[in-house]
Amino acid sequence: MDSSTSFERKKHIRFFSRILQILPHRYSILDTSRLTITFFALSGLDVLNALDHLSEKNKQEIIEWIYSLQVIPNEAESNTCKCGFRGSTCNGVTTPQYAKAMESTNEYDSSHIAMTYTGLASLLILSDDLQRVNKKACLEGIRALQLPDGSFKSTYDGSENDMRFIYCACCVSAILNDFSAIDTAQATSFIRKSLCYDGAFGQGPGLESHGGSTFCAFASLKLMKTLNSALSKQQLKWLEYWCVSRQKMGFHGRPHKDDDTCYSFWVGATLKLLGVFELIDFKENEEFVLSTQDNIVGGFAKWPQIHPDALHSYMGVCGLSLMGLHNLQPIDPALNVTQRVRTHMEELHAKWAAAETRKLQTTSMDRSRTKSSTIDRTHTGTVVLAFVIGLGAVVVPWIYKVYFRHAT
Amino acid sequence: MSSSSDEDESYKMYKDRPEWNDVKSVPQDDGPAPVVQIAYSEKFKDVFDYFRAVMAMNEKSERALELTGSAIELNPANYTVWHYRREVLKALKKDIAVEMKFLSQIIMEQQKNYQVWHHRRALVEWSQDFSEELDFTADIISRDQKNYHAWQHRQWVIQEFEQWDGELDFIDKLLEQDVRNNSAWNERYFVIEHTTGFTDEVVKREIEYAIKKINLATKNESAWSYLRGVLQDKGLTWSKSLCDQIHSWRGEGLRSPHLAAFLLDMFDEDLEKKKCDVNKTMDKVRSLCKELAEDTDTVRRKYWNFVLQRMTKEYEVK
Ligand SMILES: [Zn+2]
Repeated sequence: MDSSTSFERKKHIRFFSRILQILPHRYSILDTSRLTITFFALSGLDVLNALDHLSEKNKQEIIEWIYSLQVIPNEAESNTCKCGFRGSTCNGVTTPQYAKAMESTNEYDSSHIAMTYTGLASLLILSDDLQRVNKKACLEGIRALQLPDGSFKSTYDGSENDMRFIYCACCVSAILNDFSAIDTAQATSFIRKSLCYDGAFGQGPGLESHGGSTFCAFASLKLMKTLNSALSKQQLKWLEYWCVSRQKMGFHGRPHKDDDTCYSFWVGATLKLLGVFELIDFKENEEFVLSTQDNIVGGFAKWPQIHPDALHSYMGVCGLSLMGLHNLQPIDPALNVTQRVRTHMEELHAKWAAAETRKLQTTSMDRSRTKSSTIDRTHTGTVVLAFVIGLGAVVVPWIYKVYFRHAT
Repeated sequence: MSSSSDEDESYKMYKDRPEWNDVKSVPQDDGPAPVVQIAYSEKFKDVFDYFRAVMAMNEKSERALELTGSAIELNPANYTVWHYRREVLKALKKDIAVEMKFLSQIIMEQQKNYQVWHHRRALVEWSQDFSEELDFTADIISRDQKNYHAWQHRQWVIQEFEQWDGELDFIDKLLEQDVRNNSAWNERYFVIEHTTGFTDEVVKREIEYAIKKINLATKNESAWSYLRGVLQDKGLTWSKSLCDQIHSWRGEGLRSPHLAAFLLDMFDEDLEKKKCDVNKTMDKVRSLCKELAEDTDTVRRKYWNFVLQRMTKEYEVK
């Protein structure tokens, strides 16, 4: 390889910005998943620390477009099982006005779990506060997609079910800070059953180990916090060995397959989550990823000498970011967004929790004003709970302060 | 850019078809500032404008079926089109065999598309006719030996309709063509797990099988992983004849990194079970890790040094 190959930051910024505008006709196959492409482009810009290349007006327009893709409950609430986000309006959200696009109008209109995940993630990247997300409906939409074996399908009307969609369900739950829509025990059991004899995960039980499904499986266990109960120490060792074995120069997804840019992220992120990412050969990995860079139009391809695409361009910059190269923003390996976005998300969670506490406190005050005879057991429970939370809110910072003073 | 059928002069836009002039097409409402727009062709717009109209009317007719065919040709990844097509097929009580022929052609052109394989499974679930599935997947696999979708569909058919007989022969043939076909190795494990199970006898047989294959290609990760896999419950040192084989390969000077890694894990097991002299075994561990890190598997040198550190910490008496 030409050792002078440098990282073409400016060209990548242009590449991702262009994708956000328009794709040529040959990409019509992406029609139902335009939201995912939006996510790749936005998160790509974020990893490049280049979101300021989008004007504030443009960002706001993107936010509005994403919200227009939200499937919200109809009046009869007969469609909650289909709530979440659609990937585009191609399947006929026929509304007279754009503003009304959020109302579902035909029975074939439905969310897709990958779009719900990438839609929410995109909103976070744009620093939106998710205020207009119907969280309850999103979670109902997720709940409706889990199958008895613990796996998820992608849309209510039916699709294949595999590890990818468990991961999407976990990301949605993590972003909304609520795992109540997932039967995590069943999901964990499905993941365990998909552990292949060679130490990594397939898309489902009995299926061949694969870098993509291994990432989805392992990141899901991390997000659900069920990793410790799911895998033994020995199993973790074998998984480590399988993952490091995927490096030839860059990474590939299955034994004897060619290296492919996206696995520098899928396998790389799994190794990062395993805490042993530093053990790979950074130089070789970087050289491979850069060999798939398009030095003219920007972006990355799956292999050298072929056209770049949105997914591989995003995974390419993520793969390089994992190694801390080229001033790229650090990413959160489990959620596949920048750490900046993760922090923004956690701040939102803290705000939601504080609002919840305030709500409970107000309720308890209202209730204590009512006559004691009307307070039944449930109310007493709520009051006690609110009291404990309220007390906690006061006492914990106090204890912290005292401890802090004494400690220093 | 236009596909060949765009230039096909006999093709008539839906808006110009008299049998459709009672339907008002529904253009896509993409809002005032769409993101990741697609520069649809005129043909694409025309077909999907009518597809949206048909869905809104919920019309399940012959012409609707034809329209879904046009839509699928333009975008086989549109899962809603496939779903709608299934609804129409059901409503019209269409012959599944005819649909299967249509589908097989599309799969040949779209071998890695999730929707086509999901449609295939849905059709087999309805008809319960799996008679063509093993041949069909075998055909796809012969074109692309590692096609994940084809293997997944094949495993589903085999399990659902208990078609286990003959599968080991099928795998044998594939491994004779390419001993590194990891999908075939995986299928072997899948079949045994669901039929005989890994009894002592079967494990012994499978060890012999793997040894033969390793002799054909000593650096074949798939065969080595399989060997680990069949021994995962019993332990890598369970078979005396395998231990002898491993040592004799080493004695012959075989430098496969997989052999060294396997031996390393055998030592790990011995050390953990306290079945060996710690100092002597750790000396061997050190030289194996050194060989891997500095000579036979240098891309993973940091990993092998890490393994050595981990084992030293775990077993060496201070
Ligand atoms: Zn790829």
